[in-house]
This record gives sequence, structure tokens and C-alpha cells, in this order.
Amino acid sequence: MMALGLVASALLLVREALRLPIAWTSAGPGPGFFPFWLAVGVTGVAALILARTWRAGRRHDEPFVPAGAWKPLAIVFLPMVAVVALIHYLGIYLGGALYLAGYMRLVGRHRWMQVAVVSIALPLGLFLIFERWFLMPMPKGLALEWLLYGR
Amino acid sequence: MSLPGIFHDLLYGIGVAASPTNLFVAVVGLLLGTAIGVLPGLGGTNGIALLLPLTFRLQPTSAIILLSSVYWGAIFGGAITSILFNIPGEPWSVATTFDGHPLAKQGKPGIALTAAFTSSFIGALISIVLFTFFAPPLAEIALKFGPPENFAVLLLAFATIAGLEGGDPLKSVLMTLLGLLLGTVGFDIVSGSPRMTFGVVALQSGINFIVIAIGLFGLGEILLTVEEGLRLEGVQARLSFRDVWETWKLFPRYVWTIVRGTVLGFWIGVLPGTGATPASFMSYGLAKQFSPRGHRFGTGEVEGVVAPETAAHAAGIGALLPMITLGIPGSPTAAVMLAGFFIWGLNPGPLLFREQREFVWGLIGSMYLANVIGVLIVLTMVPAFAAINRIPFGVLAPLIVILSSVGAYAANNQVLDLWIMLASGLAGYLFKKLGYPLAPLVVALVLGDMTEQALRQSLIMGQGSPAIFLHRPIALAFMAAALALGALPAMRALRRQARGRRGAAARPAPAPRG
Repeated sequence: MMALGLVASALLLVREALRLPIAWTSAGPGPGFFPFWLAVGVTGVAALILARTWRAGRRHDEPFVPAGAWKPLAIVFLPMVAVVALIHYLGIYLGGALYLAGYMRLVGRHRWMQVAVVSIALPLGLFLIFERWFLMPMPKGLALEWLLYGR
Repeated sequence: MSLPGIFHDLLYGIGVAASPTNLFVAVVGLLLGTAIGVLPGLGGTNGIALLLPLTFRLQPTSAIILLSSVYWGAIFGGAITSILFNIPGEPWSVATTFDGHPLAKQGKPGIALTAAFTSSFIGALISIVLFTFFAPPLAEIALKFGPPENFAVLLLAFATIAGLEGGDPLKSVLMTLLGLLLGTVGFDIVSGSPRMTFGVVALQSGINFIVIAIGLFGLGEILLTVEEGLRLEGVQARLSFRDVWETWKLFPRYVWTIVRGTVLGFWIGVLPGTGATPASFMSYGLAKQFSPRGHRFGTGEVEGVVAPETAAHAAGIGALLPMITLGIPGSPTAAVMLAGFFIWGLNPGPLLFREQREFVWGLIGSMYLANVIGVLIVLTMVPAFAAINRIPFGVLAPLIVILSSVGAYAANNQVLDLWIMLASGLAGYLFKKLGYPLAPLVVALVLGDMTEQALRQSLIMGQGSPAIFLHRPIALAFMAAALALGALPAMRALRRQARGRRGAAARPAPAPRG
């Protein structure tokens, strides 16, 4: 547990180091005032936590991620990253459909029939809700933009 | 106004609200609102803003009934995903996840849902009565509030939130400060200069709390669940009559929590600028400190669901009070509704009561009706939502990711937000593993702008001297309360530490989830 606190504090301190000068340069009496004192506060409290952790000594009694958990974590997290990247290019509907299909087939091991039904029906439903009824444009990607609006 | 006069007007208002058109509009609003509340990322404020153009064609009275019904529906619906998936559908239902989701995981989602709906309903009903009879004097007091009082109130909100997780007070403070700091990203509200953007143009519009909340709570939770073993589904949601009855039998025990939550929520809601979100957190925090079962909060206490839900709905009602009497929105959602007033050709302000009797009393009457209909709708519709739970993880995980992406994108319409969401998902996972509470961060992020504005205006009023807070009795009282509440958990932790050093060192702390 202690080791975990240490990691966090170190992480936080790095972030503060990044933030402090930013707030300082824009300081003046005006816009920088609030963020600056907040950053100072964050640094102070993080230092306190770090000091406390330090005093308690370093103990690595349990690994941060349980040994067997790396693989399932990666299986869920990496596709998450992939789908966000996909949305950049293919939009949320095509990207989402591909992601759903891939995930259901490869991780969930569902039958092709189920995969097809879900990964077509769901993005279609979302499309109707957001584009048609709520008139909220979602990222569609170049291909779908062209198909729908000829752009 | 005389008491018989109020009764007379109220009856008239209920009559207006009970007209077939208005009743139909209320039911549509409630259904839409519940759906909006269930969809993470599509919030009440958001949803009402989107529906506003639809009200052009309606009578002002029907229009305000539609929008307010959406609001009530969203408040009811926000609890559903909080309890079943640990994904708050709305910011004010974040506190509902703390005990609602553990309850659901223990196989009691029916009890958690009934408790949430019922307490939400009771909080609403009491508040509507308060609204009807105490409107003029309450609004007058709140009207006297200046920036110092507002800042003091916000401080009180933060103090209660920081004390709420029961974990490490230092970590809570850290997360609150971090949240406030994240809230400063974007254009400065006073000078208009971009701040804390690291030169990234897309960050100038600020970091939307919805994006962060979706990442921290939604994605972070998926990662945690995966680590614990690859199943998230677990929670079966059947809402049998027995569940409802069993839960209702528990309610007499929570009278004080309900009364406290309602009064607190209503009052917080009335204060301009604050809404259901801080109210729900404060109510949860107070219930945790004062309830005899407070030490078990976070592990699946029904009372931990009752407290925030009562306050959230009470605050939702209260937020409309300054809107209708003074033309000052009591919450962001009320602010959007107020925008509608101009569209419908009404001038918000105290004169509404005299000149737009149908509108004002129709709205008040519809509050009574819509909340009764609303609780019936959500209680009977839960089986429909239960269907969501039979979805296997192989579908559910990508589904949540896609819905989260949609929600995060809808907040600001920029793809960068998706990356921010992803990053906060990872951060949420790490924070939770390290015992850093997430709620203070999100709340501070939501209230950040308000807080800064109140502080800066106060300092300007005091010509740079913080002594202004000492010269204003109401502000001083709130500050003292904040200090007391903030110090309480810290003192408790210190005492625990002192005792812990003597006794067994490794007393497992209740893992703070959500």
C-alpha cells in the first residue's frame, strides 16, 4: 500500500512541476491568482502525503497490478485506445461498429450472427437518436460524411 | 399572500396542469427525461437545451411543464445507471453510486432502486410544499446574498465533500484542489485570457466535467472490474413488489436523513448558482457523519442512497424558486429553462406571479402531478432497464465505451475530448487503486468557475482584503460551519492514527469505491 502512495505522490509532483511555472508566469493579481494558489496547495498537500509515505518506509508487500490481471487489462484497455483512434478516421458509427464486432468476436467469442446483428443495429440506433431526433452531429468520419451528404 | 389565497391559487394551478394537453406533455417530458438521465453524458441541462427549440410551438405553460418534467425525469433516471453500472447518468447522482452500486452488487438492486426513487419522490414532494408556501420569504433572504456569502457556501460544500469518503483527508483535499485546478483550464472568466492550456487551442474552451466524469467513473470502473475478473454484468435488476414493500418498510428509520436532506437540498437549490449536485454530496456527507450507521456508508447502506437522492430532487425543485420569483437561476439547468422564458415572450422576475398566473401556478401544480406520475413511471419501468443487465460482458464493455465516447463528444463536439476521457479513465483506475477519492475532484471541477468568481468578486468588494468574509455575518456563519465540518473528519483520522499506532497497524480501511 505504501509503495502505491509513493508512486502516486511522485506522479503528482511531476505534474505540479509542470503546472507551477505556468500559473506563475500568468500570475499578476488577475487571472493567474486562483490557479497559482491552487497549484501551490496541490504541491503542498502532495508533499505532505509523500513525506508521510516516506516516513512510513517503503514496503512492497503487494504488486500494483495482480499478476494474472495484466492480460485482461490490456485486452480491454488497448481496444479502448484503438476505438478512440478509429473514431478520428471512421467516425463514431463505423468505428463503433467495427469495435463492437471485433470485440464481440475476439473477446466475447459470440456467434457471427449475434455479432452482425448487434454491431449493425446498435450504431444504427445511435445514429437515429443523435443525428435524427436530437440533431446532435457526432463525428462521422470522411467515408460516412461523403455517403450521407456528398461532401 | 394570505394562506387561503395560496390554496386557491394552488388548486387553480393543479387544474391547469391537469388539462389533457399539459398532462400529456408532462408524461412525454418525464419519459424523455428518464431516458436522458439514463444515458451517461446526455445530462438534464444538456437535454433541456436540446429540447428548447421544440417548445417554440407550445404555449408557455405547456412549454415550462415539458422542460420541468424532463428535469424531474432526469433526476429520477440518473439514479438507474448509478446503481446498476456505477456510471452516474447525471452529476447529481454521483453520490448515489457510493452505496447504490455496492447494494446492487450484493444482489439488492431492487432495494437500491426503490430507495432512490422513493426518497427522490419524498424529497420532491416536501420541497414542492415548501416551494408553494415559503417562496416569497426564502427568496428574499437568498436575494441578499453577495459573492462573499456564495463563496462561503461553496466552501461549505467542499468541506462536506472532502469529509465524505471517510478515507484519507489529505487525499480528499488534494483531489478537491486538483479538481478546482482542472476547472481553471480555459478562458479566464474575468479577463478572457486563456489559462493553463499549455498552448493547446482546443483546451481554451475548458475541460468539460462531463468528459472527466465519464472517463473517471465509466472507463475507470471497467478497468477495475476487468482486473478483478472479467465480469461486470453481475447486477440483476428485478424490481418485485416485495422489493418495493421491503424498502418502504425501512423508510421510517430514515426520517431524519430525509428531513435533513430535503431541507438542505431545498435551501442549497434556492441559492443562486448552486444546484442538485453539491446538495446531494453535502447530504451524503452529513448523513455519513450523523447516522449511527455512518461508518458503514460506502459498503451498501440504504441510507447512503436515501440521503443524496432526497437532497438532489429537493434541490432541483428549490433551484426553480429563484428562477420563477426573481429571474435568477438556482442551477445550471434552471438557467437553461430561464433562457426559454425569453423565447416564449415572458419577462422573468417577481412580476410573473402577478401577470402570468396561469404560467406560474400551472408550473407549481404540474410539479405535484409530474412527480407523482414520475415515480410511478420509474418504478414500473425498471424491468425495461433491467434488460440492459442481461447483456454479456463481451457486448457490454464495448457498448459502454461507445456510449461514453458519444457522451464525451456531445459535451463539446471535439474529438480531443475523447482522448481526455481516455486519459481520465486511466487516471481514474490509478486513483481508485491508490485510495484517492474521485468525487471531490469531479465536484470541484463542476463548481470551480463559480468558486473562483465568488472569491474574486469578494476580494474586489473587500479591496483585496480577505477580511470581507469576517464582516459579513451570514458568510462568517457558513465559513465557521465549513471549518467545523472540514476539521471533523481530519480530527477523527488523527485519533484513529494515534490509536492505530498502539494497536494493530494494519486495519483494513473500507475500500472507497466510486
